[in-house]
Amino acid sequence: MGLLLGLSNGLGAVNAALLTIGRWLGAICLGLMVVVILAQVFFRYVLSNALPWPEEASRFLMLWSTGLMAPTAFRRGGFVVIDMVVRLLPRSLATGLFVLLMVLAILVLWTALGIGWSEVTGLGGRFQMDALWAPAALDFSSWVKMPKSAMLASLLVGVALLLLVAVELALRNLCILFFGPDGLHEIPETIILGSGAE
Amino acid sequence: MLSFFLPLFILFLMLGLPVVFALLASPAILLWMNGQERDIVLLYRNVYEGMNSFPLMAIPFFMLAGELMNRGGISARIVGFAQAMVGHFRGGLAQVNVVDSMLFAGISGSAVADVAALGSIIIPQMEKKGYPKPFAAAITAASAIIGPIIPPSGIMIIYAYVMGESVAALFLAGIVPGILIGIALMITIRLMADRYNLPAAMQRATWRETGQAGGAAFWPLMTPILLMGGILSGVFTPTEAAAVTVGYSFLISILLLKTLTLRDVPGVLTRAGITSSVVMLLVGAAMAFKTVAALAHTPELLAAGLLGITEDPLLLLLLVNILLFIVGMFLDAGPAIIILGPILAPIFVQLGVDPVHFAVVMVINLTVGLLTPPMGLVLFATSAVSGLRVETIARAVLPFLAVEFLVILLVTYIPAISLTLPRLAGFVD
Repeated sequence: MGLLLGLSNGLGAVNAALLTIGRWLGAICLGLMVVVILAQVFFRYVLSNALPWPEEASRFLMLWSTGLMAPTAFRRGGFVVIDMVVRLLPRSLATGLFVLLMVLAILVLWTALGIGWSEVTGLGGRFQMDALWAPAALDFSSWVKMPKSAMLASLLVGVALLLLVAVELALRNLCILFFGPDGLHEIPETIILGSGAE
Repeated sequence: MLSFFLPLFILFLMLGLPVVFALLASPAILLWMNGQERDIVLLYRNVYEGMNSFPLMAIPFFMLAGELMNRGGISARIVGFAQAMVGHFRGGLAQVNVVDSMLFAGISGSAVADVAALGSIIIPQMEKKGYPKPFAAAITAASAIIGPIIPPSGIMIIYAYVMGESVAALFLAGIVPGILIGIALMITIRLMADRYNLPAAMQRATWRETGQAGGAAFWPLMTPILLMGGILSGVFTPTEAAAVTVGYSFLISILLLKTLTLRDVPGVLTRAGITSSVVMLLVGAAMAFKTVAALAHTPELLAAGLLGITEDPLLLLLLVNILLFIVGMFLDAGPAIIILGPILAPIFVQLGVDPVHFAVVMVINLTVGLLTPPMGLVLFATSAVSGLRVETIARAVLPFLAVEFLVILLVTYIPAISLTLPRLAGFVD
C-alpha cells in the first residue's frame, strides 16, 4: 500500500507543480494572443501597415496555451465524459473500470508521445516558420527564423503532461480500489461544465 | 474492418472514456489491427493541423470575452434593463428572465454562462415575488439555450470550422430562430400566467426609469453591434472581431464600469484558457476522427442506410431531428456537432438542403438537447444555481421544451426563418 500511495502522491505533487507553471504560461499565451491580434487590427487600419507575423504568432500562442492548459482540465475531471453507465455500477466496479480506461488513455498518449517526438526531431521540425523570428545572440544582434519544431513541440508537451496526469489518475484510483481514499492527495474540483462551448 | 471503428467508438463513450481519447483510440486501434500502423501518424498530424487554425482562435477569444463580462458584473445591469422593458407584463419577472437571456445571448454565446450569470440574480428575485422555485429555475434553463443560437456562438464557430462553412453566415442565420424561441417562450409564459395565476405584474417603469436602466446597460449591449457590424462590414474577420470583443469587454469592465480589477485578470485568463483548451483538443481529435471516418466511407454507409428508409428530404429532416434530439440527451452539443456534423451534413446537402439551413437545424436541436436529462448541461448548471434537484427542473421545463421543439420544426420546414438574413447579406444564393 505504502509504495502505491507514495507513487500516487509523489506524482500528484510533481503534476500539481508542473501544471501550475503550465497554467501561468498558458494564461500569458492567451493574453498575448489578444494583444497580437489587436496589434494586427491597429496596424492595418490605423497605421495602414499590414504586419506579416501576427497570424502565425497567434496560432503559435494558441497551440502552446492548449498544450499547457488541457492537462489541468483533464486532471480536474474537466474532459467531456458520458458517465451514465459508470454511475449505474457499484463503486468498486466503477473505480476498476476507470483504471482500465486510464490504461487505454495511457496507451493512446504513449503512442502519441512517440509520434510527437519523431515529428519534433524529424525533418518536418527543421523547416522554418514563415514569419516568426527568434534572437540568435544574447545581445539580440542577430536573428534567425524559428524552426517549425518550436510550434510542433506544443502538442508534444501537452501529450507528455496528459500522460503524467493519466498515470497519476490510474495510480490514484488503484489506491482507492484496493485501500480506500485515505491518505491520498487532494485534486481541485472540476471547473468546467461540458466541452466549454455550450 | 475499418467500418467497425464507429461501434468501437460508441462502446468507449458508453464505458466513460473521455470523448477526446475515444475519438483517437477507436480509429487508431482499427488502423493498427488493419495493419495500417503508418496511418496512425496521420491521426497525430491531423490533431495538430486541426488545432493549428486561425479561424478556430475565435473560440478562446469569445470564451475570454464572456468570462470578462461575467466577472465584470454586467448581468445585474442587463436584468435591470429587461425589468424596465417587460417587468410590467403579467408574469413579469418570467418575461424579464427570457428577455435578459436574449440580450445576454448577444454578449456571451454560452447557455451555461447565461444560467450562471443571470440565474443567480433572477431566480431568487422570482422566488421572492411568489413564483414557484421550480418554475423560476425551468424558465431560466429554457431561455438560457438562446445563448448559443443568437450570435456570438461557440457551437456555431465549431460547426463552421469542422464543416468549412462561413462563421458570419451561421451567426446571421441564428438571429431570427433565437428571437423566435424567445418570443415563443414569452407567449407560453403569458398563457401560463392566466392558467396558473402567476404573480401579478410589477408596476410599469416610467420612460425615465427605462432610459436610466438602458443607460446602465448601454455599453455591454453594444457588444453584438460591434461584433456583427465589424464582421458584416468586412472590417474584421470573425477571429479579429472576437479579439476586438475581448478588448472591448476589458475596457468597459475595467475602465468604464470599474466592475473588474487588474488583479482579477490572471484568474479570468486561466479559466478561459482551461475551458478553451478542452474545446481545442476536442476539435483537433475530431478532425483526425473525421479523416478516418472518410477513409472508412462512414458518411456514405450511413447515407445509404438513411436513404434506404426514405428519400423524401422532409421526412428525413424529421427523422434527423428526432435522432439529434435523442443524441442531445446523451452528448453535449459541441462534441455531438464535431462527431455528427461531418457524417450527417453531406447527406442533406446532397438532397438539396442548404448547408447553412442544416447547420442551424443541427445547432438549435443539439442546443435544446442541453435541457434534456440524463446529459443536460443547462439542467446541471441550473440545479447548481437554484439548489433544486435536476429531476425537479427537468419536469418543470417540459412545457417550455415542447414549445422549443415546435420552433425547431418551424425552423426545419420554413428555411426562410434561418436563411433570409444570410441571403440578404449575400452569403446564401
